[in-house]
Amino acid sequence: MTKITIPIGPQHPALKEPLSFLLTVEGEQILDSALRIGYVHRGLERICQNRNYVQNVHVVERVCGICSHIHTTTYCQGVEALLGLQVPPRALYLRTLLCELERIHSHLLWLGVLAEYIGFTTIFMYAWRDREIVLDIMEELSGGRVAHAANVIGGVSIDADEAHVASILDRLDVLERQIKLFLDLIRRERSFQARTRGVGHLSAEQIRRYCVVGPAARASGVDVDLRRDAPYAAYKWLNFQVITAEEGDVWARTMVRVLETIESLHMCRQLLTELPAGPLTVRAPRRVPPGEVVSRTEAPRGELIYYIRSDGSDRPARVKIRTPTLTTLITLHDQLAGVHTADVPVVLAGVDLCIACADR
Amino acid sequence: MHWEAILQALRETFPAETIEAQAGLIDETFIALPPDGIHLAVQVLIERFDLRHLSTITSQDTGGEIELLYHFWGGRGLTLRTSLPREKPHIATLTDLIPGAAFYEREVSEMLGVTFDGFPDPYPLLLPDDWDGQPPLRQEESND
Repeated sequence: MTKITIPIGPQHPALKEPLSFLLTVEGEQILDSALRIGYVHRGLERICQNRNYVQNVHVVERVCGICSHIHTTTYCQGVEALLGLQVPPRALYLRTLLCELERIHSHLLWLGVLAEYIGFTTIFMYAWRDREIVLDIMEELSGGRVAHAANVIGGVSIDADEAHVASILDRLDVLERQIKLFLDLIRRERSFQARTRGVGHLSAEQIRRYCVVGPAARASGVDVDLRRDAPYAAYKWLNFQVITAEEGDVWARTMVRVLETIESLHMCRQLLTELPAGPLTVRAPRRVPPGEVVSRTEAPRGELIYYIRSDGSDRPARVKIRTPTLTTLITLHDQLAGVHTADVPVVLAGVDLCIACADR
Repeated sequence: MHWEAILQALRETFPAETIEAQAGLIDETFIALPPDGIHLAVQVLIERFDLRHLSTITSQDTGGEIELLYHFWGGRGLTLRTSLPREKPHIATLTDLIPGAAFYEREVSEMLGVTFDGFPDPYPLLLPDDWDGQPPLRQEESND
């Protein structure tokens, strides 16, 4: 059979964000693939060098349109370490609350995208409808559905009174019922299993070779989670399980993410019921003493790392950002080799791509 | 992770160098090495300590030189630091030991003009194919 090379993207009706693939196919089978990114590269690391530390909170919030809060958390925690600031416990709790709400929203968004790609429109509609519960809560807390501007250097700019906490807790119960319904549906639906089991397989060895992080690593049996392994913000005060699976395919990644969503709901409840009283911020000076810091957190897609160097002025000399999507993109070549063309969208959805994150 | 043992192993590997560990602010240890020692040091980290998770490579133009920081993670952070001259900086690739380093090396290469010796396909990661300006994260050349 003749080999054909199909270009997909950078602009393509089936892609949510711009990236470019060259797929070499023989009949229905993918023989080889080449990936090109960078179409939404905005030069954010360079922009950070030209803004002061306070302005940069708003720059890094725009790295990602799904997990914006974890970027400001990682950045602020780095700058706070350089300044030697002790952030008040109430601020750490509220910061962590938004991190977990964001994880729930990110995982539900992902579940909807995957369901749509495999033609399971019911789950797509349910997941995105119920994701609105989390978006509403985040909007009430911060004023923003996507960019929350909740973190400031030295604390947070949001607060919740007792009545608000009670109202959020009620809605988290509704959400948990719904997510358990999805889980039940997915587990019993044979067509969902047929489209995801054995597709996009990555072994634990491949995960280690490519330095993959987050749910994709945990679904291949690599037990890493910085919330437990290097607790930051309020995680050291929380009880939670790290979810892993052994199969390493899109099915396992689905199970890990949906079960993680339920775990995140439990964490939100702990954070809200144990919310300590006290101030929301400590005063942060505008100038940062010379030094350097590596700040790591567990974003919805895995380990997020910032390197920040200060030269003593009010602007950072270097801000390096490595988003978790970059670690999964590199595995697409291995995942696509040998699969059928109909499985390509499932493989792409399975790694939870965020191209704007990867390009920065 | 046995940090003292890692430091000891690196000292044995490079007996002619003075190798000191510097504590970072958040669970991180920095160790400075000469550029031609990075590949061997990473080999030691992998073979003797199974430390193979490279989180990323940070590159920066400090004015006098190009600095590379290899951030590893194994329950704690370990950053290997090295400096290259600003004129034609080059260093051995790590992709033969850690295939996951490929994207990071391509980014360092295009953003600061560093060549990775032995890198199989060093095309740009983020910049356009027809980019003809200076590497964007280099400090502007001074006019005096």
